[in-house]
Amino acid sequence: MSVTASFSAVDGLPDTEKNPGESENTYILRPIFQQRFRPSVVKDCIHAVLKQELANAEYSPEEMPQLTKRLSENIKDKLKEMGFDRYKMVVQVVIGEQRGEGVFMAARCFWDADTDNCTHDIFMNDSLFCVVAAFGCFYY
Amino acid sequence: MEPGKRRTKDDTWKADDLRKYLWAAQSAGPKEDKKHREKQPQKDLETDLPECREHRRRDPERDARCRDRAAEREKPHRLQDQDQDRHRDRRKDTRSRDREKPKEGHREQATAEKAPSRGKEREKGGHRARRDGLRQAAGCHNLLGWDAQGQPPDRPERRTQAVSKARPEEREPKGEEPEGGDEERERRYRERKLRYGDSRDSPLKYWLYQEEGERPHRWQEERKRREKSHARERRDKSAKDSSHSLSDRGGEERRRDRRLTEGFPSEDERLRGHADRKDRPWREEQWRRVAKNGEHRSRGAGSKKDETGSQHAENSGRNNGRDKDSRRKHGREEGALEWKLARRRGSEEAVEIGKEDADSENAGAGEHTAGFEDDFEDYEDDFEVCDGDEDSGLDALESAEMAEELPPARRREIEEIRKAIHAENERVGELSLKLLESPGQVERGRGAGPGANNSPSQTPVCGILVDFATASHRQKSRTQALKQKMRSTKLLRLIDLDFSFTFSLLDLPPVNEYDMYIRSFGKKNTKQAYVQCNEDHVERDVQTEEVETREVWTQHPGESAAVSGGSDRGSPGGAAVVPKVDTPRLCSFLRAACQVIAVLLEEDRVAAEPSWPPRAQDCTLPLSDGSVPFNTGLLFLQNRRVTCVHASQAQRRIVVSVHGLPGKASAPLLDSRHLLCVWDIWQPSGPQKVLLCESEVTCCCFSPCKAFLLFAGTAHGSVLVWDLREDARIHCSLKLSGCSWTFRTSTFSTDGVLTSVNHRSPLRAIEPVSASVCKRQSCVLSPFSAPEETSGLSFHIASLDESGVLNVWVVVELPRADLAGSISDLGLIPGGRIKLLHSTAVHLGGSLFHKGDEFWVSTQTLNVKFLPSDPDRFVVGTDMGLVCHGTRQERRVFPRLFRPQQQGVRPVRVNVVDFSPFGEPVFLAGCSDGSLRLHQLTAELPRLQWDHSTGGRAINGLHWSLTRPAMFLVWDDASCIYVWDLLESDLGPVAKQSVSPDRLVAMTVVGEAEKTRGSFLALVLARASGSVDVQYLRREWATPAGDERRRLRLLLQEAP
Repeated sequence: MSVTASFSAVDGLPDTEKNPGESENTYILRPIFQQRFRPSVVKDCIHAVLKQELANAEYSPEEMPQLTKRLSENIKDKLKEMGFDRYKMVVQVVIGEQRGEGVFMAARCFWDADTDNCTHDIFMNDSLFCVVAAFGCFYY
Repeated sequence: MEPGKRRTKDDTWKADDLRKYLWAAQSAGPKEDKKHREKQPQKDLETDLPECREHRRRDPERDARCRDRAAEREKPHRLQDQDQDRHRDRRKDTRSRDREKPKEGHREQATAEKAPSRGKEREKGGHRARRDGLRQAAGCHNLLGWDAQGQPPDRPERRTQAVSKARPEEREPKGEEPEGGDEERERRYRERKLRYGDSRDSPLKYWLYQEEGERPHRWQEERKRREKSHARERRDKSAKDSSHSLSDRGGEERRRDRRLTEGFPSEDERLRGHADRKDRPWREEQWRRVAKNGEHRSRGAGSKKDETGSQHAENSGRNNGRDKDSRRKHGREEGALEWKLARRRGSEEAVEIGKEDADSENAGAGEHTAGFEDDFEDYEDDFEVCDGDEDSGLDALESAEMAEELPPARRREIEEIRKAIHAENERVGELSLKLLESPGQVERGRGAGPGANNSPSQTPVCGILVDFATASHRQKSRTQALKQKMRSTKLLRLIDLDFSFTFSLLDLPPVNEYDMYIRSFGKKNTKQAYVQCNEDHVERDVQTEEVETREVWTQHPGESAAVSGGSDRGSPGGAAVVPKVDTPRLCSFLRAACQVIAVLLEEDRVAAEPSWPPRAQDCTLPLSDGSVPFNTGLLFLQNRRVTCVHASQAQRRIVVSVHGLPGKASAPLLDSRHLLCVWDIWQPSGPQKVLLCESEVTCCCFSPCKAFLLFAGTAHGSVLVWDLREDARIHCSLKLSGCSWTFRTSTFSTDGVLTSVNHRSPLRAIEPVSASVCKRQSCVLSPFSAPEETSGLSFHIASLDESGVLNVWVVVELPRADLAGSISDLGLIPGGRIKLLHSTAVHLGGSLFHKGDEFWVSTQTLNVKFLPSDPDRFVVGTDMGLVCHGTRQERRVFPRLFRPQQQGVRPVRVNVVDFSPFGEPVFLAGCSDGSLRLHQLTAELPRLQWDHSTGGRAINGLHWSLTRPAMFLVWDDASCIYVWDLLESDLGPVAKQSVSPDRLVAMTVVGEAEKTRGSFLALVLARASGSVDVQYLRREWATPAGDERRRLRLLLQEAP
């Protein structure tokens, strides 16, 4: 099983950072409604990528690290293109071989539930399973 | 610990080695070692070799040094110098032996630190032990200085920690920010402490060194200035004490940084550094005295006197381990105190003391009798561990300064040293540049600051450059981090973070063993041969049962036969659902429905089968439009003569026919019985009900409101009641000619019961007392009576026998049928609910006729009719040609008698009396002499009388038309039917029809004035042959004219 996580920071600091001397800062605490992290859209995106990349993939221990890396980068880039402004994207890709063993994966986040969100998608075929979890954390 | 420590030492040697080298010009033995060491740091940097190798190399050197020392005493110094020259010249040709002399101080300084461990080692007498001691001492210094000095340039992360603290200071020049200045001062103090406090010799060395150079007055001034901020300084110091090692490290770092930024040109800073060095010990002492506890102070005091003792104590404490850190520090402070004392005594004295100290140690060691120089060299060796680059750099500069006052030869020496240092630093700097390109770039980017002119070539040591670059980077990131932190604290107030629930990303249950086996091996070597379900049909391939299918079409434009639910075949749904049946309701519904359906079928058949009643067609009378014969051809009706027909007043289409005894026996059970048949004229195919009667029925009538009760009077004088609603099961049933017929016996019979009031003569008439009047009366009398009573059963029956007795009976319906029969209600059939109670008996013989009537005795009453308008009154026809008028209460009414126009009493039977059904107060009376009279109720004499309308034939029947008020029908015993229409002709019948050859024996009139279907009037004719047929009269007689009643009244009034 190989795990690769890609991080990407979209955009940096807000304008208010420029003058820290000001007492009143106008922080942007919520994403624009259209730009908020929408799990369904992200899931579709992930699903499309997985279907394309893993259409007839076979598990081979040598290739999987590169594959996970490529997948995570690919998905991360796709997500960045989708314009989730001020979101930090974390994409985690896990590929494991299907040998009949039981697998249980879970995630838990310490976040601001109003802005942050996550989604995941699973791809399976006879030889491997692939779990992609994408987390979007909002930059205030 | 090992590599770091080694490196630290090596780094420190870099600069000091030069000094050592110079100093060792006099004592050649150690110099050789130093030269080797000089190269080592470079090697370290270049190759990054592990220090152990270097260390290994050093050990033999040391051994050699010891041996040299021993040899040194015998050999002249010059000889040793020459030996060393070989090595020295190999590296640096420019250096001369002369220069070594002034560097003695430096050498001293460098060696000073080694002294304690050396002393101990000597006591042990083992080189290994000595090395351990060294290591330990170095370890102690390491705490303070190794990080900054020994850290290779490729490990900036450790350094940045210190740089971040040093940063503000670095930025701000000392004077501008007092805080930064204080820090710097404090740092300098600590750093000096580090350098000198560890070894007792170092203060001596220091002061030796210091006294050599002339102190400018500026230093003094600066010192004064700085003393103003003593208090703050101390405060800072105490604060920093807690994080001793860290801040010390930071201090070391800062020192480097400052030197880097300010560079060599900043003489002032350097001078100030020296001043600080001088000031610190004193200040520190003062502060210590105030702040620290007595123990330390006393210890410090003790150490003043006996340097060696305190030194040893200190050393032992240091050797004990790191946990003695604080104590060590105090020791160092004590060392600082010593510096001050030493200064007071004078440099010479201090040197003396140091030498004495060394002597005593050497003496303690016994076999080693190394000279002062040797000792000093060793000390220097140790000292340089913590002395660091600053000493090399600063000392080099200071030495240059000193050189101004020194003789030219010495100045030249210093010049040489400086050159060498520069050369060295250049090399190192280049190297470090290579290693740390990006920090160098950062530094250059920051070129506007004081360090702008610091080219890499000018950077004295690689460590310095690295520190600066990373420090600037660090500074930036630190400010950034500060901002971020502030921002985050502000933001965290606005938002709240929480734990999300646990997302289950994947839950893949393990495949159990069997599934796995089946998946991989399950399909191997198997094929499907055949399927068998039943054990006993092995010969068949597939034995599953046929699937039940059903085609259903639900779409609108229907196709094929499956439309609307498909074929009924094989629909199992109906059988499964058992509907809840309300049995009585279903029965009543079926009964009614059957009747309706039967009527409809009958009508259809009549219409469709013109050939069926051929006789009926023949029988159609000229005065009728059509005729329908009743099916009297039934087995039980054959050969029976009809004696009477009667129609219900309420339901005009219900007709009852009374059949006499059969002429010849056909059905043994029925042969002795008289039969009554209830017909519906719309269903002529068979009687609705068949009633059995023991005796001959002379008269009959229906219940007035609804025709469900049939009353009959018999020749035996009994009154019978049939309840037509009764269930057929309580009556006997016979299967005749393929059909099952129910023969009902009478529900109640007065025969044999009620003998006291019963008739003793044959009954002549039986009449219902008019229901409408009854209803009116009951409404008046008992407004609370039940509707059922008023609607159906609250009426009386009057029966008249020949002897003139008129009995009135009350019809009572029992609330509950008793199938077991009743003891009290005799005459009631078991299960029957209707019975008669005798109400009144009117003896017409006494009331109607008076004594004056001589013929009265033999007078027969033939019939009775109740007035439709007043059921209390009735008229009775007699055989004397008279019609009597009476009431049930035997009141006197006028006229008492209705007489014919002929005077006198004649034996003429008044056969028929009939009231007009339209409420006209007139009645017709037909007599046996053929006379016909129309009486008004108010007059004794008839209004009209026709004597010869029938040609003298006796009138057997007379009926008012039910549809036309002015019309009536008469038939005589010659089977001739006369149709009278008073409006057309009041002189004679408008039509006359003789019924032949089948003689007419009975006739009744049925008809309804219905608007919807059109009124009809029909004659039910009973023939002598036993057949009964219905003659529908022609439409002109059935359909009433518009103002017929008015014209009839006019006629009656106008009549004479």
